[in-house]
Amino acid sequence: MDERNKQIALKVIAMMYFFTFISLLGIMFYKQFTLGKTVADFEAVAMLVTVNAIFLISALLFFGALPIRRLKFKNIIVLYIVFVLMGSIFTYVKYNIVQKANLSVEQLAGKLFIIFTLTALLMGFWMLFSYLGKRKIEKELNE
Amino acid sequence: MVNLKLKLARVEKGLSQQDLADLVGATRQTIGLIEKGRYNPSLNLCMKIAKALDRTLNDLFWDDEE
Repeated sequence: MDERNKQIALKVIAMMYFFTFISLLGIMFYKQFTLGKTVADFEAVAMLVTVNAIFLISALLFFGALPIRRLKFKNIIVLYIVFVLMGSIFTYVKYNIVQKANLSVEQLAGKLFIIFTLTALLMGFWMLFSYLGKRKIEKELNE
Repeated sequence: MVNLKLKLARVEKGLSQQDLADLVGATRQTIGLIEKGRYNPSLNLCMKIAKALDRTLNDLFWDDEE
């Protein structure tokens, strides 16, 4: 196996991974929004997709596939707000429009607290991996 | 763009595509595709090829027309 074979193999693997991931997402959305199943009915798929997405982004950051830049505190806050807004809109659409659960303001506020916490945890996790990846590269450069 | 320089250097050295491939640790198809200009080799592979053919990188891979 030479470098060309490896390049092709990696491209094919990446494509197949992408299609598998998209298919899992499709299955999840179909079960949730078309068949109206509860999360318990596709918990395993949802967990797999979530963990996969989180670790995919972490690995991309750690191995330097995504450019890592030092962000200003203001930009981190803006990014956090954008993520929270996206999560809130998705939650509102999911419960009050698609599932027609008509959650009260108090119930939505409860969900918002979960979104705030999860977003902070996720961003912290990704910032940690970015930092570790940057440190790894700096160490290699200094050797 | 077809890499005639590489093909000429290989033939002058009396090597087949398979011989050159064995010398540089690549496959015959890869050497063929490089000669046809259908694959861009890494710098590492370019250097191995240049060494195997006793040529410089310029001799084999630099395009004089540009």
